[in-house]
Amino acid sequence: MEKYDNLEIRCPRLGGEVTFAYCMRENGDLPCPRTIRCWSVYFPVESYLKKKLTEDEWVRCFNQPPRDKISTIFDIVSELKNKKNT
Amino acid sequence: MKQVKVLLTEDEMPRQWYNILADLPTPMSPPLHPGTGKPLGPDDMAAIFPMNLIEQEMCTDRWVDIPEEVMEKYFLWRPTPLCRAYNFEKILDAPVKIYYKNEGYSPAGSHKPNTAVAQAYYNKVFGVKKISTETGAGQWGSALSMACQMFGLECRVFMVRISYDQKPYRRLMMQTWGAKCFPSPSDQTEIGRKLLAENPDSPGSLGIAISEAIEDMIGKEDARYSLGSVLNHVLLHQTIVGLEAHKQMEKIGEYPDVVIGCAGGGSNFAGLCLPFVRDKIHGKELAIVAAEPQSCPTMTRGPYAYDFGDLAMTTPLLPMHSLGHDFVPAPIHAGGLRYHGMAPIVSHCVKENLIEARSYNQLDTFDAGVKWARLEGFIPAPETDHAIAAVVDEAMRAKEEGKERVILFNWSGHGLIDLMSYDAYLSGKLFNYDMPEEHIEKAKKMLAQYPTP
Repeated sequence: MEKYDNLEIRCPRLGGEVTFAYCMRENGDLPCPRTIRCWSVYFPVESYLKKKLTEDEWVRCFNQPPRDKISTIFDIVSELKNKKNT
Repeated sequence: MKQVKVLLTEDEMPRQWYNILADLPTPMSPPLHPGTGKPLGPDDMAAIFPMNLIEQEMCTDRWVDIPEEVMEKYFLWRPTPLCRAYNFEKILDAPVKIYYKNEGYSPAGSHKPNTAVAQAYYNKVFGVKKISTETGAGQWGSALSMACQMFGLECRVFMVRISYDQKPYRRLMMQTWGAKCFPSPSDQTEIGRKLLAENPDSPGSLGIAISEAIEDMIGKEDARYSLGSVLNHVLLHQTIVGLEAHKQMEKIGEYPDVVIGCAGGGSNFAGLCLPFVRDKIHGKELAIVAAEPQSCPTMTRGPYAYDFGDLAMTTPLLPMHSLGHDFVPAPIHAGGLRYHGMAPIVSHCVKENLIEARSYNQLDTFDAGVKWARLEGFIPAPETDHAIAAVVDEAMRAKEEGKERVILFNWSGHGLIDLMSYDAYLSGKLFNYDMPEEHIEKAKKMLAQYPTP
């Protein structure tokens, strides 16, 4: 159990309370991209994450431009169609 | 006797939705297909949405008729009242008149049915028999469940597992309305089964739930997907809120100086505000404020100084207890209304300086919401608390300037199914981190360059 894992806030995306541990794994092997925005007032989350994540993970999680929702939906559709064809 | 509510009869209710795309000063860039990089066309979306909604999504007509069948369902709770918050005004002790549109009257308890009912209708007319969707805490899932029942459609909701366990009453609402609600990841889809095999206790995520909802319907002629926010046609349907408010304010000879809504995906905000954005485009002077959730510095620590409200330093200097805007993470993290969950129309309006974005700390929003509940009676949804925090903010500005302000905001939903969030606040679980002294000193140095109140 990590130091901040049990801390709780209300998740603006889900509309309910979540622990920091949930935020850390919200995006598969990566944290939710909002993690720093949501937690920064509670503890030095940015420096915490810089220690926890590899450089590649950091870039993938926080240094990508945000994607619009429609693009996300189409990515899912393309993936499903490709799976069906293989 | 002071008038508290302004009502419209069913005859007076607007019969058309308003489409801001007809009036934007600069056109929005069309969404691009991620695979081809070309603008999305109707055929690209046909596998996901019915063609009649795709046409609405791309439509640039200023007014779109509301079908009679949708009006009939709207009449169950609309028109919603415009109310004056006399009791809240009293404690603010500021020269303000506060009006709010009470969208908590709908059967689902929020503004969401305004589009859920319309989408269910259009899917039905198109020949769709089943709609799949995802939901977090269940506001959208419950609204769509209700709407699908009204039009005889099957509704399949993939609810993020952590929320499914936390919000049994939302799930029960969906089931009472006849929908099937699955905790996601579920055994209904290949992706769900794969994730459950890897981790049977997976708490799920919105990304997984979206994937499941899409997999659930793709390739089936009689099934489509539905979204509760973000898309143009969703915001179009929601403008019924602002169009009613416009008429109601006209009835009492008032016009707002500032219009406020909380902004998550943008639908309730846009619903109230877009008809007023139209007025602003045509020269009317008013402020339109989107209140969004963010961990900005708490008001209870840090030096009291004038500070910008956001990293871009575009807001006027606000007197606040501030840890300095540089304390907030770098712009790429700030995201704000450029975050991918926000409706492109709303983001575009921010870029055009038609809308101003302000962020409010969680503790401040709950404080505002509890005060509201104790004075006005209605317990707001935690999301709505952000709008109330912005109302308090505006009232304080009005007090400082000594100038009367008419404030209109969207009371987007009640919090009666979200009382555990209030429990977390009232029992002190939403903690206020004890900021290290080095951060306070850094902020003091930064703030020394600005005037102090």
